[in-house]
Amino acid sequence: AESVTPESVSPHALCSFSSCSSWLPQRVPLRGSHWQSSLLQLRTSLPVRAQPKKKKKVDVKKEQAQKERMKKKIKKLEKAAPELIPIEDFITPLKYSESNRVRSLPALSPEESERRVLLLKKWCVFKQKQDEAEKKAIKALVESQQEALKELRLESEELYQAAIRRDEGLFPFERDGPSYTPPLPGYDPPEGKCVDITKVYTQ
Amino acid sequence: SAAAPRPWRLFGAMCLLRLPRITQPLEKEEEEMAALMQQIELEKSHYSDHEIRKLEEEEQLKRRKESSYDEDEAAGKTVIMAQDLEEKWEQKFLRFKAAPRITDADKSNDRTSLNRKLDSNLMLLVKQKIGNQELWLLPQAEWQPGETLRSTAERAMATFLGDHIQAKTLGNAPHGIYKYKFPKAIRTEDNVGAKVFFFKAFLQSSDLSQAKLKADYLWVTKKELGDYLNSEYLKKVNRFLLD
Repeated sequence: AESVTPESVSPHALCSFSSCSSWLPQRVPLRGSHWQSSLLQLRTSLPVRAQPKKKKKVDVKKEQAQKERMKKKIKKLEKAAPELIPIEDFITPLKYSESNRVRSLPALSPEESERRVLLLKKWCVFKQKQDEAEKKAIKALVESQQEALKELRLESEELYQAAIRRDEGLFPFERDGPSYTPPLPGYDPPEGKCVDITKVYTQ
Repeated sequence: SAAAPRPWRLFGAMCLLRLPRITQPLEKEEEEMAALMQQIELEKSHYSDHEIRKLEEEEQLKRRKESSYDEDEAAGKTVIMAQDLEEKWEQKFLRFKAAPRITDADKSNDRTSLNRKLDSNLMLLVKQKIGNQELWLLPQAEWQPGETLRSTAERAMATFLGDHIQAKTLGNAPHGIYKYKFPKAIRTEDNVGAKVFFFKAFLQSSDLSQAKLKADYLWVTKKELGDYLNSEYLKKVNRFLLD
């Protein structure tokens, strides 16, 4: 705060102290500092400087004790085992176990169940044959490669070493699988917005 | 290392495969099994919200027909029935026309096109001059000292298809070998015959318009290879090709 001498109260002197009052007309009496509430009563509004305030030591201690208690609580919570994230697929929502949901279909005839059992057996045999054919093809592939590498080794050791080196750029290998129909050239898919509402849990 | 020069000339050949774009048709057993699985899934399931709504609306209609027209419920409200929704969806589906599985190239048997036989692998065959004969072969090039066989094969691919070909070679090792001896007229002590090492690569981009094919080329399936390759060569090639 600016020190205003109580003797000189002339407006001209006060003008020089306050910088923001340069646009005001000279006639208006100005206050030198905000401690002066009125021009005439100068001494009464100045702050009373008495003894400095005692810092309440008891308060500080209480605050520290409170902080420690909070820290202990936080530590206890952290030590407790983290809550398991529920697997949403395994929890059947209750509305699907109501009785009106049960499908009413005619019971299977014995011919139908007979046909199903026979079909499952045929499927087993079909899949077994498919698997054996795949394994045979893979075996032929490996044999062919081994033969090629053997011949290459006979030719030159250097080329053989270059051939059996690992190909770093091969994996990770990505490829889009085949679809039912080929892509339609010039197809303009309809516009839409996809809002992801999966719940994300944090431990 | 100063080794005695071998009498065999080395070639690197590339078998470039275009992988299938559509699924193969199902076998009879697969179709029957798929139908059975769907039936069992239906039997074991419960009604969904849409089906419950349909059942309730059917009952409402029945009740309204039996008790003489109850206009209080339907006064002013135009309710969309689940059945109408289903019909609307059906109409929308029928309006969509997917691309055909059997393309024009299939019908005209244009063997130079890549759009043929979308459900099987297609391999590149080029006509090359070996000795004084023009033969259909997998693109091959002679090995030059200082490069690996894989780079020889890739160079062979680049000479026939241009530099901007996007193909992923499967590993550094050859997949097969074809060994043949030169005819007696050309055979010398140092030059007994040739060994052709085959490498496999998958074609990544389907757009080959930039490729400048300098020789006659064909894209054929494994079954059609027999029309073009001689029997010994074909036997060795068939060993490392899956159907």
